[in-house]
Amino acid sequence: MSKVSLSKRLTVFALIALLALVPSALLVRAAEEPVVIGVAVAQTSNVALLGQEQVIGAQIAEEFFNARGGVNGRPIRIAFADTGGDEAGAINAFQTLINRENVVGILGPTLSQQAFAADPIADQAGVPVIAPSNTARGIPQIGRFIFRVSAPVAIVAPNAVKQALKMNPEIKRVAVFYAQNDAFSVSETGTFQQTVKDLGLELLDVQTFQTTDTDFTTQITNVLPLEPQLVIISGLAADGGNLVKQLRELGYDGMIVGGNGLNTANIFPVCQELCDGILIAQAYSYQYDSEINNAFREAYKAKQEKEPPQFSAQAFAGIQVFVEALSRLDERKPLKDMDLATLRAELRDEIMSGKYDTPLGPISFVETKKDDGTPAGGEIVQEQFYVAQIKMNPDGKTGRFVFVD
Amino acid sequence: MKLVDQSSQQYRRLWWFASRGFAAVAIVLLITAILTAPSGLQNLFNGLAIGGVYAIFALGYTLIFSILRIINFAHGAIFTLGAYFTYFLTGAAVGFNGLLANQRLPFELPFPVAMIGGGLLAGLCGILIERVAFRPLRNKGADPLLTLVSSLGVAVAIVNIIQLLVGAEIYSYPRNPFGEMPAALNLGTFGGLTQRPIIIRTIQVIIFAVSMVTVVLLTYFINGTKTGKALRAVAEDATTSSLLGINTNFLILVTFFISGLVGGIAGTLVGLSVNVSGPYFGINFGLKGLAVIVLGGLGDIPGAVVGGLVIGVAEAFVPSEYVAYKEAIAFVVLFLVLLLRPQGLLGRAAVQKV
Repeated sequence: MSKVSLSKRLTVFALIALLALVPSALLVRAAEEPVVIGVAVAQTSNVALLGQEQVIGAQIAEEFFNARGGVNGRPIRIAFADTGGDEAGAINAFQTLINRENVVGILGPTLSQQAFAADPIADQAGVPVIAPSNTARGIPQIGRFIFRVSAPVAIVAPNAVKQALKMNPEIKRVAVFYAQNDAFSVSETGTFQQTVKDLGLELLDVQTFQTTDTDFTTQITNVLPLEPQLVIISGLAADGGNLVKQLRELGYDGMIVGGNGLNTANIFPVCQELCDGILIAQAYSYQYDSEINNAFREAYKAKQEKEPPQFSAQAFAGIQVFVEALSRLDERKPLKDMDLATLRAELRDEIMSGKYDTPLGPISFVETKKDDGTPAGGEIVQEQFYVAQIKMNPDGKTGRFVFVD
Repeated sequence: MKLVDQSSQQYRRLWWFASRGFAAVAIVLLITAILTAPSGLQNLFNGLAIGGVYAIFALGYTLIFSILRIINFAHGAIFTLGAYFTYFLTGAAVGFNGLLANQRLPFELPFPVAMIGGGLLAGLCGILIERVAFRPLRNKGADPLLTLVSSLGVAVAIVNIIQLLVGAEIYSYPRNPFGEMPAALNLGTFGGLTQRPIIIRTIQVIIFAVSMVTVVLLTYFINGTKTGKALRAVAEDATTSSLLGINTNFLILVTFFISGLVGGIAGTLVGLSVNVSGPYFGINFGLKGLAVIVLGGLGDIPGAVVGGLVIGVAEAFVPSEYVAYKEAIAFVVLFLVLLLRPQGLLGRAAVQKV
């Protein structure tokens, strides 16, 4: 009997000892373990060209901020999850990062379409999300935990029209073309048409096409007799490029402003030397002169041997926002004293209240509201925008985006 | 019995008059619309230009149908292959995707030579497709409908092989490959008939001209040459013609070769106009091509051109705000024509063999 009670006592003692040891062991480990930030972008599928640029931006940020001491001496680690190009892939990647990798926050996904499907999951789980490239209307309004460092189309797009007017103040007559089967192009053309009216220009005609179309002769020959001085196009690379090519071939010699769908080197082989001169608004310029951007540009060039594109810069800025908000939070309330749920909730408020000097220029966030008036996520407040003009090389097949001012 | 005959004859006569009447009214309305619309004549030319592309695509399609009475769904893939072959024969490099990334041929051919080379290679692929997807089934006496599926399978395989080898990016040819030419032609105002001069892209004029020349050559080949006559014999009855000493299998190979040659050159020309947008480039014309040959009359070679032009013109007159319904309108035209002429515009009504 006494033997049994001894073994019982020993068991209880062992249990107490274990219970006492486990948290302290965990705390010791937590102090050494890196803070895990999730990156869920498209590493495969037809969106992978964009997603790859985001991966590179995030990797550079990881190395850069760890070299500078991470989160007050504690390193960060980036957990990557591939979303593919569709909604289901984005949801899977988000769930993996939230439940298996126990991330403090997520950078992603690549497409707005994916964000509308996957962001609500993170929002319900109370995990902060920073969108690196979602520019559609209504992204931060998905929920309280959703932020974006990619300025919405309504703010970026008008800059290209203003630049065209700056380069040719004579412009009065404008024609607009847009792809009516592409949700992003439809929303973008609304912004463009409003800008044309706001600037007191005459909107001569609005012509529509499909992203699958290859022949635009009918639309173009409808517009050319109206003698436009500026043509604005919202479409994707293949159709937009063909439209530019056919516009020029049929004799249009005025200025052309392209939307974000044309903001890719993929249009160079389509319109070749006829791409020359297209104006496209940008949220990032590698020429922007600041300490952080110069450092980012050097790191990118060392890796990729070319100038950094907007997608990489925005991904870098997203990780930077996480790291700086975590550092400030840690100074106020040490991260190691918080459980994961509290940490995520506190991080959300910290992101919202901060100001960040990123490669995109100084940015901050403003809290948005849902339609019913309840508070939602953070919309980016960005001070600087740029306009680039396509300059084709003499070979007629390659070219570059040259920033104008 | 007699009564029934009489009434059915009357009914047929009534139907004959009604359908001719409908057709006449439609044509008068169409001409009035073209001449009175603000940019009617320009739209007519635009439509002929678009239709030229459909016609040149459909010619190879219809050639095989006219001989074998089967639809070769791999024709879109052949069309794509021709465009890619020409691109590589000019010595241009593969893009940055695919297994062959950044590779190029060790020689460069002038564009017109490369185009013919691309067509010949596409013709050889046509022969290969016949051997792989058609002949084994024909030899086993399979239902001709089954070759529809096997040719569709070949098409999917070709598209995927292209994507695997050279990626899905857009390929384009050098500009002005036939020497310095204006990008567009000004056709003038037709003696004041239109307020504004009619303009049309040079490449579209070339495509239109090539499809016209091709239809003449193919018609001559089928009707005026010994091989053509043998082909028609095969089309009429393969078994009897082989008993008469005609090498049926060889002639079918010839048909596939010519169809591939025409398809390959057409792919290159269309690629010159709108770039090679990726491995699905030709497949996208497949359904439209089918509509074109049905409209023109299945297996009728001039019919393919007429069908292509009618659908092209119908599309060109769709107002820009309804452009999303452009395809639907093409098929409405097809449906209306088939109601009046089930055999297509130029097709002959099938004679019931007893």
